[in-house]
Amino acid sequence: MEARPGPSAAVTALRGVLPFLVGAFASLLLHFVVAPASGPFATKLVMDAGINVILAVSLNLVNGFTGQFSIGHAGFMAVGGYTAGLVTYYGSMLLWGSPAAHGGFLGGGELLFLAACLAGAAVAALAGLLVGLPSLRLRGDYLAIVTLGFGEILRVLLQRTGDVLPTAAEVRRTPLPELATHVGGALGFTGIPFYTSPFWVGIFVTVMLVVAYRLKSGSHGRSFLAIREDEVAAEAMGIPTTRVKVTAFVLSALFAGLAGGLFAHLVGTTLNPRELGFQKSFDVVIMVVLGGMGSISGAAIAAVILTLLPELLRSFSEYRMILYAALLVVVMIVRPQGLLGLGEIWDVWRPRRKGTGR
Amino acid sequence: MSGPLLSVESISLAFGGLKAVNAFSLSLGRRQLWGLIGPNGAGKTTAFNLLTGVYRPDSGTVSLEGRRLNGLPPHEITAAGLARTFQNIRLFPDLSVLDNVRVACHLDARHGLLAALLRTPRHLAEEKAMEERSRALLSLFGLEERADDDARNLPYGDQRRLEMARALATAPKVLLLDEPAAGMNPREKDELTDLIRGLPARFDIAVLLIEHDMGVVMDLVEGITVLDHGETIAVGAPAAIRRDPKVIEAYLGTGAVDEAVDEAVDEAVEGRA
Amino acid sequence: MTKLLQTAMDAVAVGSLYALIALGYTMVYGVLKFINFAHSDIFVLGAWSSFAMAAALGWTKAGATPPLLGGFAILLASMAFCAAAGIAIERFAYRPLRGAPRLNVLITAIGVSLLLQNVGQLPFVFGTQPQRMPQLLPDRVLASVAGVDLRLVDLIGAGTAVALMLGLEALVFRTKLGRAMRAVSWDVKTAALMGIPVDRVVAFTFGLGSALAAAAGLLYAMKYPGLNQPAHATWVLLGLKAFVAAVVGGIGNIRGAMLGGLLIGAVELFGAAYFSPHLRDLYVFTLLILVLLYRPAGLLGRAAVEKV
Ligand SMILES: Nc1ncnc2c1ncn2[C@@H]1O[C@H](COP(=O)(O)OP(=O)(O)OP(=O)(O)O)[C@@H](O)[C@H]1O
Ligand SMILES: [Mg+2]
Repeated sequence: MEARPGPSAAVTALRGVLPFLVGAFASLLLHFVVAPASGPFATKLVMDAGINVILAVSLNLVNGFTGQFSIGHAGFMAVGGYTAGLVTYYGSMLLWGSPAAHGGFLGGGELLFLAACLAGAAVAALAGLLVGLPSLRLRGDYLAIVTLGFGEILRVLLQRTGDVLPTAAEVRRTPLPELATHVGGALGFTGIPFYTSPFWVGIFVTVMLVVAYRLKSGSHGRSFLAIREDEVAAEAMGIPTTRVKVTAFVLSALFAGLAGGLFAHLVGTTLNPRELGFQKSFDVVIMVVLGGMGSISGAAIAAVILTLLPELLRSFSEYRMILYAALLVVVMIVRPQGLLGLGEIWDVWRPRRKGTGR
Repeated sequence: MSGPLLSVESISLAFGGLKAVNAFSLSLGRRQLWGLIGPNGAGKTTAFNLLTGVYRPDSGTVSLEGRRLNGLPPHEITAAGLARTFQNIRLFPDLSVLDNVRVACHLDARHGLLAALLRTPRHLAEEKAMEERSRALLSLFGLEERADDDARNLPYGDQRRLEMARALATAPKVLLLDEPAAGMNPREKDELTDLIRGLPARFDIAVLLIEHDMGVVMDLVEGITVLDHGETIAVGAPAAIRRDPKVIEAYLGTGAVDEAVDEAVDEAVEGRA
Repeated sequence: MTKLLQTAMDAVAVGSLYALIALGYTMVYGVLKFINFAHSDIFVLGAWSSFAMAAALGWTKAGATPPLLGGFAILLASMAFCAAAGIAIERFAYRPLRGAPRLNVLITAIGVSLLLQNVGQLPFVFGTQPQRMPQLLPDRVLASVAGVDLRLVDLIGAGTAVALMLGLEALVFRTKLGRAMRAVSWDVKTAALMGIPVDRVVAFTFGLGSALAAAAGLLYAMKYPGLNQPAHATWVLLGLKAFVAAVVGGIGNIRGAMLGGLLIGAVELFGAAYFSPHLRDLYVFTLLILVLLYRPAGLLGRAAVEKV
């Protein structure tokens, strides 16, 4: 059955892109109206929260939907962030002679930034494929070890990279592939232009949410869920479980890479190996577990709350991790599926869950 | 097509020293209903696992319409047309009843991931078709009312029926049913028997049935294969099997009393699950 | 030649410690089929609790010389302490989840691991200050071959590790308790039906594994005496490498854990000596990936068949 021409096809096509349009509109609103009115501190928090939403929802594709367990999400974020940072920093140097932000809203600089984020996502997805292929053939807990190892190795490798090249002349003299080794080592990749804005965060959050939701309500996402529920039965229903698991994992790494791109270009953060270590991975895990394994809105809400909470509890910062860890253990014992489980926040008001479908 | 639909030639599997299935052969024609019986631990479920690729046979071949299946991963065997239910029910407990069946319809879907993410007309049309087919299967098994419930909340008999509906959703050529009537009351068993009887014609499939309830089997099938300790001890029409001294010995030899106890334990365990 | 010999000796010394930790992972995996992520923290706890005891006894002061058997007394005490900690963790965090999906148990284990790490960093526990472990075991150069010193402390370390492993081997394969452990690891439900006190066997397994990890912690600190809570991650990574050792040897297999430990020690130290000392972790995890790809059940492990 191919698409019939005529009004109905146009309407369907519109429906297909409508959420993206709404998201774009909301992002513009956020960028030009809400953010200027609420000041830089609140704006930064909103952007932090948005990045965490992308991280949590993307990790949920693996840990929640597919029932596998990755604890190296920050590693993919780092891959994306460093790749994107390389593109914008050295790209700006080569194009405009300086790493400073170039052009205005949707100007040349922002387009370079967009390309950088997409490149970061692509490289992160590739890394996901490399990590996922050997480990996803096996049972879930091996993935945990391999992803953890991946994150740690990445940290070690990044710490051993060379200094960022500070002048355009030096950049021109250095062969392109060698530039990839000049990302600042343990001190971090400084000097990346600050392109990340409420608009871009809004756009990427929209894409993440729409993708996750559509996935969950379609046959691809149902295959993810079936694997989480019972791998043997899923395989017996004709689902190529390894391939589906790898797909979920790669998709999840892709969005982590995207979040890394946003993170790399955010005011007030430095991309450094320590920042994107196990601790960060764990922060994301706890967002997923608290929000609900398989709940998109749950993960998103948990991400927002856990971004804001440390700001409110600044004086308790040394107890934060203890609190999180204890919370994790207690949640697992008392409410193992997380707060919302597989359901979504709007299901809470419905008498009965209406499938996972539309 | 002239040859048999499903042809199993002398497959064997040993777990360590235990020969769970030894030289098991079977030939199923189109729309044929066949029974597989034997005392507890005879190797019936293991035979199913061998056919569906959960275990790989040590030797022997399985082929469907002339295509060799053994060695393929289970999902490819299912896609090739061999679907099964599980003796110890393996539904997707947190998914809705409808989704349990829809998952198994995924083989219908031809659209890619990107189409799903963009909600293209093709994706929508295929999704709609899957949902309709799933609902039709559910109503055949009397489950349409419960489509939106979580599978875990279904009563035991409904769960068994849902397993059958789910297996049928993969559009198989051969359906393997592992004790579909276990734990059902007599009325449910009668209904189920009628339903199974209608399956070959309705879906143009062959059915291989494992069942302990002799009433159910004898009533349904054209022929029976009897396993005991992994060996095939008899093959034939139901009436002949009923009189076969080796079969009687296999069953009575284990002690009719033991059998009753086993049954009771099974029931208790399954009731708890 | 000197370098080769030195590296080989270090590899055996470190490898036998990996093996000690790996045993804990393997035993717990054997009985409960999950990765006890908190096990590497028990290893760290072993080192820190020994340090705390030594400090309480005044042995950490400059110039203090602990009595000859003092080190062994601390070894036993910290093994007992960590055994108690392991049993408590099992009782309060893992037992409520017995029979729950594996993912939940795994997440809990990670939670417990982080809890231990961060509680350890509190100022009134071990604090965040780096510390130096005093030499608790007697040490002198026993012999010198081709410029390589054979040190007493290394010998005691490796000797203790080997003795503990032999003891464990005898316990698991020669005693009734060991038979019960093996039965539980074969099939928990059946073991319970056979009247084996599963809870007690599991608790014992945790206690035993934790005690071995504690011993490894102390012995490791004898060789590399820098204790540093904020760099705790490096120590945890050591524990994780021990887990890799368990997987490489065949998870659930006791002899496999020993073999895996020595192998990992060799890969790591030879790699560090002959390639680059900075990429140690890379060698180990590369080995893990290779094993997962080509021999997922590990060197001595049997492929598990899930009963369907
Ligand atoms: N994965 C396995 N590992 C070891 N032994 C197994 C495994 N699966 C089955 N067996 C053994 O193989 C034999 C046959 O088991 P199977 O489950 O096929 O019997 P069955 O005929 O289906 O019995 P029932 O009527 O009780 O379902 C039994 O002795 C069983 O214990
Ligand atoms: Mg059976």
